[in-house]
Amino acid sequence: MAVPDATLERDAALFAPIARTGRGFYLTVAVLGLAILWGAIAYWTQFNEGLGVTGLQQPVSWGFYVTNFVFFIGISHAGTLISAILRLSRAEWRRPITRMAEVITVMVLFIGAGQILVDLGRPDRLFNVIRYGRYQSPLLWDATSISAYLTASMFYLYLPLIPDIAILRDRLGKRRFLYSVLAMGWTGSAHQQKILNRAIAIMAVLVIPIAVSVHTVVSFVFSMTIQPAWHSSIFGPYFVAGAIFSGIAALIVAMAIVRRIYHLQAYLKPIHFRYLGHLLLVMTLLWFYLTFAEYLTGYYGNEPEEMKVFWSKFTGPFWPTFWAMLALNFVVPMAFLVNLRNHAVGKTVVASVAVVLGMWLERFNIVVPTLSNPRLPFPVTHYWPTWVEWGETAGSFGLFILLYVLFVKFFPIISIWEIQEGREAGLKDVEERLRTYLPDDTTPEPAHGRARVTT
Amino acid sequence: MALWGMVIDLDRCTGCQACVMACKAENNVPAVGAKEAGLGRTISWMQVLVEESEERTRFLPRPCFQCDDPPCTKVCPVYATYRDPEGIVAQVYARCIGCRFCMAGCPYNAKYFNWRRYQQEAPGQNPDVSVRPKGVVEKCTFCHHRLQKARDRVRAERRELAPGDYVTACAEACPTRAITFGDLSDAGSDVAKLAKSPRAFRVGEELGTKPKVIYLSETEAHGRA
Amino acid sequence: MSARPSEVDRRVRALQWAIAALAVVFIGGIVTWIAHLIRTAWRLGDVPSASIGISIVAIPVFLVLLGVIVSVFWGLLRDGGSR
Repeated sequence: MAVPDATLERDAALFAPIARTGRGFYLTVAVLGLAILWGAIAYWTQFNEGLGVTGLQQPVSWGFYVTNFVFFIGISHAGTLISAILRLSRAEWRRPITRMAEVITVMVLFIGAGQILVDLGRPDRLFNVIRYGRYQSPLLWDATSISAYLTASMFYLYLPLIPDIAILRDRLGKRRFLYSVLAMGWTGSAHQQKILNRAIAIMAVLVIPIAVSVHTVVSFVFSMTIQPAWHSSIFGPYFVAGAIFSGIAALIVAMAIVRRIYHLQAYLKPIHFRYLGHLLLVMTLLWFYLTFAEYLTGYYGNEPEEMKVFWSKFTGPFWPTFWAMLALNFVVPMAFLVNLRNHAVGKTVVASVAVVLGMWLERFNIVVPTLSNPRLPFPVTHYWPTWVEWGETAGSFGLFILLYVLFVKFFPIISIWEIQEGREAGLKDVEERLRTYLPDDTTPEPAHGRARVTT
Repeated sequence: MALWGMVIDLDRCTGCQACVMACKAENNVPAVGAKEAGLGRTISWMQVLVEESEERTRFLPRPCFQCDDPPCTKVCPVYATYRDPEGIVAQVYARCIGCRFCMAGCPYNAKYFNWRRYQQEAPGQNPDVSVRPKGVVEKCTFCHHRLQKARDRVRAERRELAPGDYVTACAEACPTRAITFGDLSDAGSDVAKLAKSPRAFRVGEELGTKPKVIYLSETEAHGRA
Repeated sequence: MSARPSEVDRRVRALQWAIAALAVVFIGGIVTWIAHLIRTAWRLGDVPSASIGISIVAIPVFLVLLGVIVSVFWGLLRDGGSR
């Protein structure tokens, strides 16, 4: 993977964000910094005064923070799952997308895990989970699974990054020490390439079941209780499907922003958005199917406790968030994604922004209505989040985006060597593969008197 | 080994909430203040719930049911709540990390959270009961400290624990004697005999939690709403 | 490339091996932690089956991750020099 200089000139756009820092970067960091500052002040207030500064109460003891936790962990399925699946299926169109997706996963996992920390009444006792953890508790399943996923995604991001870091080490001219260290002595030799390719292949296979397990155990936090509308066997598959759904949407939004800001229209083309848009459409339908199955089952069974939660979502206090969720997750994507022949980028971005919002609402609609409808006649007041919870949410988004922006500043957001590989080897590989799909060439021997088919 | 349980006779309960006040005094349950109460953060280990239907209004004094298969202990990540061998579901304030998973798991809303630092150690509190810090979960413990004191006392008096040595504050305070407390495994105890009454029922029995608070009600047991 | 590694090259090398060691310690720590939880559950008699069941899946996964990263670091650092 030693790259000749001429080719590097060709991909100069991929170096630009790392080589030059414009005013826009500082402005972005400043704006994000404000959001993070709001979040920091909000958390500082909460750390000092207690969770009482939120809108949480008896019995709605989980709210924004747990919603954010499920939401961010869900977004993490963007990266690694899409990148791993596209790599394993040898889809050539993945090349400009994989790194962007992998970065989302790693950064958002930190933010997602952080949400649980924020939600604790005694964060100073976090180490109790390590010292006295009980594996019967779904929270420990979460801790283990998310640790595995974080580890795996960090490796899965880092390994394909090594050849690109080596390019930066050799060509960029600045931060040479940093890139030298991180390049791990990469020379591009055949031996090293073999090691790396094998490791990437193993990780691509390994990361998929780990990713599936992550959101499954997150769903088990709810479905392992006996609360109405939570204790349902659909939760595992539902959450995983929802995670992939929101993950693809987040990826499309990230792609569109990166494309616009860094002028990467040559690399992130409408065809990429079109293909991801098709995937997003499939996930919209899948999400709707699972949602429909869940609510029809509840409605048909007509159990009193289930129906209390059901009606509180359909017509009761939670009807705004419920119907908004349906509109954003199903109606808008269907409208914008069925025909992507023209304006693929714009349409997929609109649908994706809707899905990101809609999926956040979906998590909210799972957490809060059930808690707001206790079985016993316990007095309940409607849950209203406070500035602390809004601030924490804004700060979390801000921190995630900031981490992403910092990554783009230091490393290529589109994998340079994989683009090169696509140009050099990709066409040939695909042509050979296509040849194996077509029928074998069985030219019959010319025989006397036998009819020959003329075309 | 004892199995501590409680019988509450709903046909005697007047809804006076003497049990609630006695529990608060005995267990240093904080008064959260009017503002916090308005936000829905009242802590009341024994809470009188009001069941209203078209036919009648009924008071349901609800302590922790001390389930024999507690859905709250299963989900605790740090052994901060567990069922002890005598059937009391204990709460370890010093270890609780405040994740509130047990609160989400309890189908009876018997667990309460300290959303703020509602009180400090001060004179006038019950010295036998720890004062909870902010950020931890608390709930009714069947006045477990009274059991410990009773055990110490009978050991000093060189005798066995007799019924009446260990009684919860709510049972002691109830003016109509609607609450009976004792050892369910002792066939001769009042609580065991009452638990077998034809008027007996448990709340949420179909959930499989095996609650150890048994209610008595003429109308409920006979299938009328 | 110079025949003898320069001062900078040596520092780079040291940091690289440190990163590799960190990865090993990190994953090793997680595996140790899981084993600690199994032992605690066993001693307390608190549903040890849950701990054992989960660790039967989790520990091999972490060991595979450890194997992958160690083989990559080892292969790269031994083969190439620091540059």
